[in-house]
Amino acid sequence: MSEKEGIPPGWSYNPAAWGQRMPIVGLAMVGFGIATYMALFQLKVFDTVWEPFFGNDSRKILTSSVSELLPIPDAALGAIGYIADALTGVIGGTRRWRTMPWIVIMFGLAVGPLGFISILLVILQPVMFDAWCTLCLCSAAISVIMIGPAMDEFMASLQYMRRVKDAKVSLWKAFWGYKEVAGKVI
Amino acid sequence: MWAQILNALLGIWLMASPSILGFEKVAANNDHIVGPIIASFAIISWWESTRVVRLYNVLPAAWLLLAPWVLGYQSTTPIINDMLIGALVTGLSLVKGNITETYGGGWSAIWKSDSLHAREARKQPRV
Repeated sequence: MSEKEGIPPGWSYNPAAWGQRMPIVGLAMVGFGIATYMALFQLKVFDTVWEPFFGNDSRKILTSSVSELLPIPDAALGAIGYIADALTGVIGGTRRWRTMPWIVIMFGLAVGPLGFISILLVILQPVMFDAWCTLCLCSAAISVIMIGPAMDEFMASLQYMRRVKDAKVSLWKAFWGYKEVAGKVI
Repeated sequence: MWAQILNALLGIWLMASPSILGFEKVAANNDHIVGPIIASFAIISWWESTRVVRLYNVLPAAWLLLAPWVLGYQSTTPIINDMLIGALVTGLSLVKGNITETYGGGWSAIWKSDSLHAREARKQPRV
């Protein structure tokens, strides 16, 4: 029964079900849209940036010294992060916590740093530049909201890897989802 | 979960209060740093599998109780604001709330042996 539905042993639901994953992928796509828009402003494709509350603040933030620390604008880096989240969220079937742990673990690891860097940038806005940027705050909120719902699947994959280890089966083969491992460990 | 929603709102209030109430620079900077941290930990703990993250908020909340004295705030409003939010966030972060789903033994089942998911897996027939 649970084998068919892909529910991990000891769980009451399947964290890799589409209903669990699609909202996260949707959020990542919204984040990708916002970050791409800001990156295009930073690359001077757009002359102005949308800012409903804080006047000239968004321009100040998006053209600040911090935003130019890296060879590419920081919003472009954010866009890459969001697309990585969306891709690692969408790839694989509803038993992927077991059939392809590498993608679930990559998904879990991709969501974390994006959220962390967003929070860091939210702190830097008022402290260093005495300004707020509405779209940056929206992007940060999205990246933080994505962390919680992504972690259950990550947990299921790590528990699976633990069972692989206890069964003395190759962790390497299980991580990459070798077919020969599938029958040995549930 | 309601407790962690309140904590997220308190974190966001901490971010906004320096501009709304007009705080001195040192208090404003402190609130601008601690506010997003509290809001983020609270939001992450909205979900059952990461509810444990609520406890991470005890540390920044305890700092809010000390900050006015360590950093030497001059005016009363930011002192009251920080102390009040620090006390509220500490209390609310200890509220676990309902956990309705089961998670194979949770995070600790990754490093502990013979946990729920391992016992359940043994009962299932091999393919």
